[in-house]
Amino acid sequence: MTNLLLMLGFFIVSFLIGYLLISRIPSLLHTPLMSMTNAVSGVTILGALLLFTVPGNGTEKLLGSMAIIAAAFNVVGGFTITDRMLGMFKGKSKKSSAITTQES
Amino acid sequence: MNLIIDFLVISGLILGIWLFNAPRKAKFGNLTAAFALFCAFALILYRHDIIGAGTVGISLLLGALAGYVVARTVNMNQIPSMVAIQNGSGGAAAFLVSLVELIRQGGSFGAIAVISGITGLAVGAFTFSGSMIAAAKLSNKMRQAPQVLPGHNYFVMITVWGMLAACVISFHVPPDAAVYLYILQIVLASLLGILFSIRIGGADMPVLISFLNSMTGMAAALCGMVIGNRLLIAFGAVVAASGYILTYLMCKAMNRNLLKVFLPDPPKMRSGVSIRSGSAGTRASGSASTGTRASGSASAGTRAQGKDMTETPASPGLSGVPGQHPSSAMTSQAPKSLGRIEKDKTPGDPFARAAQILAEAQKVIVIPGYGMAIAQAQREVTSLAGELEGMGKDVKYAIHPVAGRMPGHMNVLLAEADVDYDMLVEMDEINPEFSSTGAVLVVGACDVVNPSAIEVEGTPISGMPILMAHEAKNVICCNFDEKPGYSGVENPLYKKSRTLMLPGNAKETVRKLTEALLHAGKGDEDFISPADNGDSWVDNTPAHGDEAIMAGPGNNRLDGTPAHGDEAMVTPAGDGDQGMAGTGADMVGTVANEDGEIDNLGRAVQALAKAKTVTVIPGYGMALAKAQFKLLELASMLSEGGASVKYAIHPVAGRMPGHMNVILAEAEVDYDDLLEMDDANPLFADTDVAMIIGACDVVNPAAIEIEGTPISGMPILMAHEAKQIIVCNFDENPGYSGVPNPIYNNSRTIMLPGDAKATLEEILAAIKGN
Repeated sequence: MTNLLLMLGFFIVSFLIGYLLISRIPSLLHTPLMSMTNAVSGVTILGALLLFTVPGNGTEKLLGSMAIIAAAFNVVGGFTITDRMLGMFKGKSKKSSAITTQES
Repeated sequence: MNLIIDFLVISGLILGIWLFNAPRKAKFGNLTAAFALFCAFALILYRHDIIGAGTVGISLLLGALAGYVVARTVNMNQIPSMVAIQNGSGGAAAFLVSLVELIRQGGSFGAIAVISGITGLAVGAFTFSGSMIAAAKLSNKMRQAPQVLPGHNYFVMITVWGMLAACVISFHVPPDAAVYLYILQIVLASLLGILFSIRIGGADMPVLISFLNSMTGMAAALCGMVIGNRLLIAFGAVVAASGYILTYLMCKAMNRNLLKVFLPDPPKMRSGVSIRSGSAGTRASGSASTGTRASGSASAGTRAQGKDMTETPASPGLSGVPGQHPSSAMTSQAPKSLGRIEKDKTPGDPFARAAQILAEAQKVIVIPGYGMAIAQAQREVTSLAGELEGMGKDVKYAIHPVAGRMPGHMNVLLAEADVDYDMLVEMDEINPEFSSTGAVLVVGACDVVNPSAIEVEGTPISGMPILMAHEAKNVICCNFDEKPGYSGVENPLYKKSRTLMLPGNAKETVRKLTEALLHAGKGDEDFISPADNGDSWVDNTPAHGDEAIMAGPGNNRLDGTPAHGDEAMVTPAGDGDQGMAGTGADMVGTVANEDGEIDNLGRAVQALAKAKTVTVIPGYGMALAKAQFKLLELASMLSEGGASVKYAIHPVAGRMPGHMNVILAEAEVDYDDLLEMDDANPLFADTDVAMIIGACDVVNPAAIEIEGTPISGMPILMAHEAKQIIVCNFDENPGYSGVPNPIYNNSRTIMLPGDAKATLEEILAAIKGN
């Protein structure tokens, strides 16, 4: 029970810290932010990984590996696409268009 | 000790988020967060022994690879739907983990842990199905308009009660039976996710997508509670917080509370749909009324209308043809495109007036809306803004928090079009500036500039914060039509005397506006120097490039001579690129009379030399002729000349899924240049040359124009909308379907029959022969 309360506390503290930090993020970056936190939500991959720390039957393994695939897709895809997106945000120096890269 | 390490990892994540404060640091922030997650992952591996490492490794690799490849290749226009899909897979992972944990130790868990488990199950499944619906809606695979089923509320209620019942019962049955209840729980939650998402549409999409984002975080945190893992809880909580904030901000910006968005009352109030009636008629009336105010929402209809618009505005322009382009006036084959140009020069023309307003304004604020996203007009908008900046004006973009379909949507679109983020200004900062602004350019935005929101009580948008565009000295409005936006509230801004309406597809209207501005600018000697003029073809200055294209093909078909004089003026031969244009002209001049085929070749070369945008459509014929390497050679030559070369890939071109992609990748074509059909189609109307290489059925307009053929209803690449079409097919026979292709007889089509590789070699030789 104390353990559960502790976890609840963990949740609340993290939520608050997240809340305070994210409130300050400019709306310019909302989409990348959402995409990034989206990738972070693939943290369930840890849970999926923990499923494999105790012996399980076939069904459990199947479900577990499905969970790993889904979570890995979420994490890797999310961070990659965020990186791509952020790469487009250019400051004063304008980037050269895609045409030039294609010629190489 | 473990606790400290956990804290370190979590602070890594927090640091990553903190870095999102500034655009410049955000990229590093993203990497930091990714690194934090990686550390958490490594920590689990270090602390626990993994049983069945092979299965884990393979699953991991599969998921990661798929995620990476998809994220790398997905078109940037698809980001909202991509985010939704990833979100859904996060939800799926969460409910799977919860399920396995519950199955394993349901009996040994305390009641609260089981409740968290079941909640995790429900939230995960709900997010999964809801996100998938959102993804389908965002990628236009589903109607974006809210869909309310007959008795929608009853269904929702039944599902919710069913879930509660399943939860309660699962406590009172043996663990074996409880498993089935858990599965039932998943099914019901998925159903709820679908029911929940389908009735959210249009402008409410940002709320849905943020909400689902928050829900995945919640699911992850709940999952962590079940397992008893601090890292999972903390990471999940941060995501939940982020999603919550975004949801809240979106709601606030739209002046609606979450319940109003998610419960069916608002649509009932706004579109007159009676949800309670539960009759079949409900649905019909719902879709009808949403259809009438579809201007703000991206329905398929809007797109279709957009297509029409590219043709309609041209016709009235023909009335006043000034004598500036004698050769153009003679041309009968390209009346539409010419009409467009002449129209811009007519003094009373709205574009000329708009251009004048812009030219006189010291400060211009651009207000983009979802209409800009639909019309894919961001590049046109930024090029107009670039011209204005070049004229020494102060140009800014005013971004309403809920413009578009997800938080910050407009920022992403404009960033993609290379807009400096310093120019993107948030609502609260820009609003005081409107009264001192000379011209506001509204592009596809309606509700967010609707003064009714602050002036009239009792409308659905009353009290919603808006961009104060109506305070500016002049407003130029490039919206599709004058219909109300998503809210259904008439926009009095349209009727103001200081507002100039330029209805139509924003991409077209903004481009024409830019042309008009440049034409007006050419009057002032000091604006465009002679040097600028000379380079304009290479610089893709719309006015000149277009003129050359429009004058070129038509003239040559009549007879070569008068056109050449004009062209020589527009694109003086200065360096290698322009030499190409010259060559094209020479080719026609010298060999035009020998025989038909060479004449066509000359025309093709000329069209290519002058094209700013070339879209290549490869088909199985290209694969047969192994013409892809020659094609790439030609493409790189054209892009060196300043043209933008893209490849439009039909899903069934070739003999296996993705066949053309593989073949072009083999020839080292940048995959960013490979456009999927849905991405490529809206671009054809603005494409100078569509080059068809060994493709027939996939570009056969009969599929969409004629009923009853074997291919009727098949989606095609809209090559016939391009300004000029070059066909490098072996012959003019119909393709696999046996349906004759009317594109071959189009007046804008140049046929180059024969082996595609040989034909491409001839074109290359002709261009190089300079």
